[in-house]
Amino acid sequence: MTITFPHMGRIYIPVKALFDDLGVPVVVPPPVSKRTLEIGTRISPEMACLPMKINLGNYIESMERGADTIVLTGSCGPCRFGYYGIVEQEILRDQGYEMDVVILDAPGRDPRPLLKQIQRISGSSPWTKIIRAFLNASKIVERVDELADILLRKRPRELKRGESDELQSRFEREVLKCRGSKEMLDFIAVFKEKADSIPERRDASPLRIGLVGEIYTLIEPYVNLNIENKLGSLGVEVHRGITAADWVKTHLSFDLKFKRERKLKLKKCGNYLDLCIGGHAWETIASTVHYADTGLDGVIQILPFGCMPEIVAESILPAISRERGFPVMTLTVDELTGEAGYMTRLEAFVDLLSQKKGKEYEQA
Amino acid sequence: MKIGIPRALLYSIYFPLWKVFFMELGHEVILSNHTNQEILNNGVKICVDDACLPIKIFHGHVTDLIGRVDAILIPRLISIRPEEYICPKFIGLPEMIRYSVPGSPELLVMDYNAYSSEEKGYEGMYRLGRELGSPHSSVKHALNKAGLRQAAYFREMEKGFHPMEIMKRMNHPSERYNTWYKDSFCTNAGLPSKMSAKNSKGTIGLIGHPYLLYDRYINMNICNKLAARGYKIRFPENSTQEKVDGACSRYPKKLFWSYGKRLLGAGLSMMESREISGLILLTSFGCGIDAFIDELLIRANHREFGIPLTTITLDEHTGQAGFDTRLEAFIDMMEWRSRYDNHISPHGAHLYSGQGPV
Repeated sequence: MTITFPHMGRIYIPVKALFDDLGVPVVVPPPVSKRTLEIGTRISPEMACLPMKINLGNYIESMERGADTIVLTGSCGPCRFGYYGIVEQEILRDQGYEMDVVILDAPGRDPRPLLKQIQRISGSSPWTKIIRAFLNASKIVERVDELADILLRKRPRELKRGESDELQSRFEREVLKCRGSKEMLDFIAVFKEKADSIPERRDASPLRIGLVGEIYTLIEPYVNLNIENKLGSLGVEVHRGITAADWVKTHLSFDLKFKRERKLKLKKCGNYLDLCIGGHAWETIASTVHYADTGLDGVIQILPFGCMPEIVAESILPAISRERGFPVMTLTVDELTGEAGYMTRLEAFVDLLSQKKGKEYEQA
Repeated sequence: MKIGIPRALLYSIYFPLWKVFFMELGHEVILSNHTNQEILNNGVKICVDDACLPIKIFHGHVTDLIGRVDAILIPRLISIRPEEYICPKFIGLPEMIRYSVPGSPELLVMDYNAYSSEEKGYEGMYRLGRELGSPHSSVKHALNKAGLRQAAYFREMEKGFHPMEIMKRMNHPSERYNTWYKDSFCTNAGLPSKMSAKNSKGTIGLIGHPYLLYDRYINMNICNKLAARGYKIRFPENSTQEKVDGACSRYPKKLFWSYGKRLLGAGLSMMESREISGLILLTSFGCGIDAFIDELLIRANHREFGIPLTTITLDEHTGQAGFDTRLEAFIDMMEWRSRYDNHISPHGAHLYSGQGPV
């Protein structure tokens, strides 16, 4: 059994550590590229959402490198993500790939099927070992996100342009050479120190923009055309409405304090939306209201074309923008998104924000 | 109070429930017009671009009611069966309307959430009834009566009737809601007169969401067009829930979309029974659920059944002529296949056996 899994931002780092710890062979899919997307687009239903197309590309590229079992998480609706596994399995079967697909569903009334699945993919390790590996992996998720946050803060402030980007790409190049969670955590700590010591300009007062929207497009840099780095290089401090660590904390941990805070944040946008409609639409609205309250300069929503929950959020956002005088832009991405047009829109949005800020400053 | 009900989305399925409920509470119910070009245009104009056609049309129906009513009913159908959903957009519908339709009157948001149990589903209706100022007993009574009506309606559909036919059959003089039934449905959806004809050429399965199948304007009158070619039609609503559940059990994970499940289950059971000579998948552009459901249906058909199948996608740009051409081509293909498929020419290449060599 050689395991693989779909890409989603930097989630491959903790997942690799997890399986290393369990002693299960794992193939990390090659970074998402044009080829990945082309493979996925060719065999997926036309109207499927972008993440699924890329997932399929990942699987096939991993299979070429010897993987034979796919592990992915599931959910029980109403977002389409919950049924990815089944449709993907059908497609792969018709394409002639014999793959085992293991879907880790959130347990309903009976947790036994989930536990069985976990045992199956962990090479029947003892439970203490499995739990320890999971805990370490979730620690790595947090550390990786902390590192990303430092870089987001540094990018608009760095003295030498491009230094943060360079550090990041070096990190991504070398991190996969680590084996096991201990090595990984040490490696991340070293890079965090390096990131912290990137020299800053004193006078920098960058624009601050929040990124909200569908989680996959937000955290997978290939899909969002590396928006975090692009905005950073335009001199913007990026705040992320939802991160991989948030997802892990919400769904897989017992961090009650975080859950309470999350609930409080969600309740704050009650007059716009006060129930979960699937996906992360509620978080999108809540984060936008939160960012407007905390004085950010604007918000960008990103969603894959046809994403059902985010379309609802998209139709509510203009109202928030109107009522609070808070700039919001929506970007829809799909397999046809062109980089130049995308860049133009980002630049225009940033220009407008900086003009708005300048005006406010003059009036004051 | 004059309550407006938009004649869109799941109106065609739930109108007995909604209508009887509000009438029993002593309110006047006013329906939006049948879908027409103006409603479509208005909907497309005010709705976000990314939304699907039925959602845009719902927006149009809401604008159609503005100025004619005191309040507009916006159903929030979260879940209609335990542990299932419909679609995220249905859940967020009241918010979509509130923030994008300008100048709308009071919106009566009616929750329907049967996620934990069937009975719980009616709690939202009860709450709304009380908010409208009716006492506990009369709301309960109205709910009861409306629920019975709805159940009768579902039973009739499972027997194999088209909603319009059911309305016709319910045409007893003693019926209090008769005039409304006739007005609300029969006239628009285009009941194909030949649908139950005995000398039909066969049956075509029509798989799609109710808001596409039972709205003549959106679906370009497909029912009548098929009937005119001599075919009977089977709708997903004609399958019993047990059949749907049974057919879907071939997939290892429970489907959590009620309509997705119905479409898939009904499609599979139609194919398994070999009752149909062809299957048409009617979908609206950008429908997230159909993207998956149709994919599963097509793959299952390709692998096991080999029944003629086509997908027709509808959106606000769909032209009548292109639609007709595709429909005709499909029916021709289906008929030629049954006529010539087994004729193998002993003399080499023939297009089909009725003609000479090509």
